[in-house]
Amino acid sequence: MGSRFWEGQKRDRGVPTEERLHWRSFLVKLGADNLRRAKNEELFVASHKSVYIVYTMLGDVSIYVVGKDEYDELTLSEVIYVITSSVKDACDKPPTERLFLDKYGKICLCLDEIVWKGLLESTDKSRIRRLTRLKPPTDV
Amino acid sequence: MAQPFVKKDDDLDEEEEYSPFYGIEKGAVLQEARVFHDPQLDARRCSQVITKLLYLLNQGETFTKVEATEVFFAVTKLFQSKDTVLRRMVYLMIKDLSPSADEVIIVTSSLMKDMNSKTDMYRANAIRVLCRITDSTLLTQIERYLKQAIVDKNPVVASAALVSGVHLLQTNSEIVKRWSNEVQEAVQSRAALVQFHALALLHQIRQNDRLAVSKLVTSLTKGSVRSPLAQCLLIRYTSQVIRESSTNTQAGERPFFDYLESCLRHKSEMVVFEAARAITELSGVTSRELTPAITVLQLFLSSSKPVLRFAAIRTLNKIILSSMYGFNEQSRFAKKMVASTHPLAVTNCNIDMESLISDQNRSIATLAITTLLKTGNESSVDRLMKQITNFMSDIADEFKIVVVEAIRSLCLKFPLKYRSMMNFLSNILREEGGFDYKKAIVDSIVILIRDIPDAKEIGLFHLCEFIEDCEFTYLSTQILHFLGNEGPKTSDPSKYIRYIYNRVILENATVRASAVSTLAKFGAMVDSLKPRIFVLLRRCLFDSDDEVRDRATLYLNTLGTDASVGGTDEDVKDFLFGPLDVPLVNLETSLRNYEASDIPFDINLVPKEVKSQPLAEKKAPGKKAIGLGAPPSGPTTVVDAYEKLLSSISEFSSFGKLFKSCSPMELTEPETEYAVNVVKHIFDGHVVFQYNCTNTIPEQLLEKVTVFVDASEAEEFSEVLTKPLRSLPYDSPGQTFVAFEKPEGVPAIGKFSNLLKFVVKEVDPATGEADEEGVEDEYQLEDLEIVAADYMLKVGVSNFKNAWENMDPDNERIDEYGLGVKESLAETVSAVIDIVGMQPCEGTEVVPNNSRSHTCLLSGIFIGNVKVLVRVSFGIDGSKQVAMKLAVRSEDPEISEKIHEIVAEGKSSVKGKWRSGRWIGEMITRSKLVEQLREYQIRSQHKWGALAAFSPKPQMATRRGCLCGSYICFGICLAHTILLCSTLLQTLHDFSGSCIPWNSSSNMP
Repeated sequence: MGSRFWEGQKRDRGVPTEERLHWRSFLVKLGADNLRRAKNEELFVASHKSVYIVYTMLGDVSIYVVGKDEYDELTLSEVIYVITSSVKDACDKPPTERLFLDKYGKICLCLDEIVWKGLLESTDKSRIRRLTRLKPPTDV
Repeated sequence: MAQPFVKKDDDLDEEEEYSPFYGIEKGAVLQEARVFHDPQLDARRCSQVITKLLYLLNQGETFTKVEATEVFFAVTKLFQSKDTVLRRMVYLMIKDLSPSADEVIIVTSSLMKDMNSKTDMYRANAIRVLCRITDSTLLTQIERYLKQAIVDKNPVVASAALVSGVHLLQTNSEIVKRWSNEVQEAVQSRAALVQFHALALLHQIRQNDRLAVSKLVTSLTKGSVRSPLAQCLLIRYTSQVIRESSTNTQAGERPFFDYLESCLRHKSEMVVFEAARAITELSGVTSRELTPAITVLQLFLSSSKPVLRFAAIRTLNKIILSSMYGFNEQSRFAKKMVASTHPLAVTNCNIDMESLISDQNRSIATLAITTLLKTGNESSVDRLMKQITNFMSDIADEFKIVVVEAIRSLCLKFPLKYRSMMNFLSNILREEGGFDYKKAIVDSIVILIRDIPDAKEIGLFHLCEFIEDCEFTYLSTQILHFLGNEGPKTSDPSKYIRYIYNRVILENATVRASAVSTLAKFGAMVDSLKPRIFVLLRRCLFDSDDEVRDRATLYLNTLGTDASVGGTDEDVKDFLFGPLDVPLVNLETSLRNYEASDIPFDINLVPKEVKSQPLAEKKAPGKKAIGLGAPPSGPTTVVDAYEKLLSSISEFSSFGKLFKSCSPMELTEPETEYAVNVVKHIFDGHVVFQYNCTNTIPEQLLEKVTVFVDASEAEEFSEVLTKPLRSLPYDSPGQTFVAFEKPEGVPAIGKFSNLLKFVVKEVDPATGEADEEGVEDEYQLEDLEIVAADYMLKVGVSNFKNAWENMDPDNERIDEYGLGVKESLAETVSAVIDIVGMQPCEGTEVVPNNSRSHTCLLSGIFIGNVKVLVRVSFGIDGSKQVAMKLAVRSEDPEISEKIHEIVAEGKSSVKGKWRSGRWIGEMITRSKLVEQLREYQIRSQHKWGALAAFSPKPQMATRRGCLCGSYICFGICLAHTILLCSTLLQTLHDFSGSCIPWNSSSNMP
């Protein structure tokens, strides 16, 4: 499934492949340990080395947000909230895998609006929804 | 800079039939991308194709240069379409393709057009894309528009421009810095996000200007900051300002504290937490300041949101941690206040924390446990241990390690409670677990045994039990070694023999060999056991492994009364228990070099110099502490190469054994015609300068290259020979040597000026042929010096405390120095290390930030093979006066004196290291000094304990025993030589993996 931002990070910030694999397996393990009995949208939090990880399960999809320094667990929980609500918005309901892939393009656009090269850009769901359609936000 | 990675889980099987991307293939998608060229664009279909392309890219598929260019050009055609969804996709696609510089031109005009479009959203997106793909020339062209965009009334456009600014600041900081007026204006924006982004950018622009940051904070803390995110940023900047200002004005009300406190009442949790954390991290925070912050954190502890609970417990844990460090480490002096107040403040939260032990989130539970273990008092220990026992079974290994480490420090804090904790440790030792976890437990038990004498027997017993059923060879050998050192000193050594001999029967060869060594140690120490040990050792003579047999033979001979190899009893013990004083890496290289030759191996020829690891390597990010595999490499090969080089020159063969080769020192500026550096080789009665010369001019060939050395400022040296370099062609380095004689064994110092002399010949670059005729020429080089540190070999010791105590206290020389005003302790410490040229031990070369005193442990070998140990304590007072107490122990009292002379001379050293240095009495008043020294004494009493506990690599000698043993075997049976050598290499190989410090610390929560 799409690891859009992951890849984005790889290209932008030079996260080397082996590190990326390390991260991938680390997160998958983290998820496997904890997410199995998770309720929908229940937040999980962990820290590893100097980074924080906030993750959750949305329908069939697990979402991990990783940050460090000023992006601590609280900011990340904000981010993950925006992501989950945008994804739900795009899919109209908690996504199944199929639905998620169907809306892949749209979700990519949402994520593009939320984070840009590691910087938080937008946090408002309706604004993001409008922005992905190139409509100006309602509140100015 | 933050790097939030966002990732979608992909462990679900994406190849299943229902995926819309099932069977997706790059070639096919690229074919489909032709629709972009249609004169009548089908926007919907184009969007779908772009989605597929994005999917491919995100799956890690790479496009070749041609493919990427093709797709990129095709995508640019889509700018014709007016469809908004498609346009949005196009922007994203261009960003993801990140076109090369020559392709960017194609889209620039389209994007520039969009940037000035009436549609706001076109503008915002165009800015983002342009900034992503732009370079500095293009940036100057669009700078005007970007400045406008920053103050655009549409917040999306403004934010896009601001965030672009943040990114561009890294590459084109000069340009972005010119925008600060506009950014300043944007900070006042009414839109929350614009304010957030503007604040971040403004701070980054001005971060090196303290005054500007301070002004920014002052104005904003008064005004209203809308977005919670911006508020958090502001709190961070505020605490930064407080940090920087408090170093200047020590007393009085803390500036901005009111602001931080008011943030504790903010409606957003994020802001409240940020403020609470900022307060707890203030340096020298008082209980009064801390209380409201702790109260807020306490409320968070019982929040329904896991994130808040985690954040709160993490912060509390950190408070405790900082005070714990204050308690144990050198900085105790500075943090005394903190240590006594903070745990009390946190203790109020104990009840809330106890309920978190059963938290579903394991990270939270572990943090709660470790915090409680640190705040807990003696009476609550037993209850806690009970709770932890229930909790241990269902957490992962990495968490368990954290808990084990916490228990270890708790036990050191309350030594009386050792019984319950030792029991706990032995219980968990019996349970399932990975290597790191078991290692942490064994490590803890070993430390407790060392530190709490009462716990010794019970601890050793637990370890014995453990090796009965231990699957890790490494741990078994370590424990056996430890047992060999500690066991014989117990009241009833005989009871351990059974456990040890069982290893000989049941285990693999490595463990068996260790067990044989351990048996021998018991035999050497306990006379009553000796006959029985002999019986056991004789049985080992029939072992299937030759290493085990060799060891048994060796020990039987060394310990045996009749056939004496070792000589006196003292020698035997020294041989069994003494450290191996050669660095293992060096030994390994020497053995590798030796393998082919047929003269007996001489361990005395192994170089003893340890080069410190380059700093970069230590800092290498992402390198895991558990990297058992990688053997240390590099530095010694250089020393070896020197040794080889020098021994190949017959003139130097009479100089004896090379004592030390210094690292190369440049004698020319970079990028000059001739590059020359010098390596100083120190022999007992000689010094050889090796000049490495490189000719960087292709049109020249140098011949008869020599260095004329003027030693008029080095009275004790007299030149004995010069070895010229016959020819020095372009770009192929060569060496010329100059040798000096000096009084034997005396650390003579001096200054030498150098002049490079040569015959230069013109070379035709086309043919590479040199002219017949040459011209004599010379070239001035920089001066070089022989300093006292050149006579000191950097040789570390594995356990400084032991080594120190084993040195004769009569040879100790102590003196006190006032060093005058210094910038920082760290700088002073490294200057002293440089002057004496010794190896810092146990990481004491690192001075913790802001610490007011520090003790550095140094070890080395002085010329004449004299071991030297130095304990040097520093203290700095408010006015930055530094005092130093230097205690030197060595095998020779004269050398101890000599070290003091070196340090004293260092103050007037030519390099001006002590520029402002003075003797006591001149700069510091006597009373001040006495006060500071008393402080050291108090500390050092505690410190030795701590040092012993945390001393790295204490138990290496199992292998060492093997090495020493094998070495002597060479003498006994030469026939085995070659065979053994290969065994040794293998053993060494194993070893290089295992010489990781015993107490590796894990960063896992």
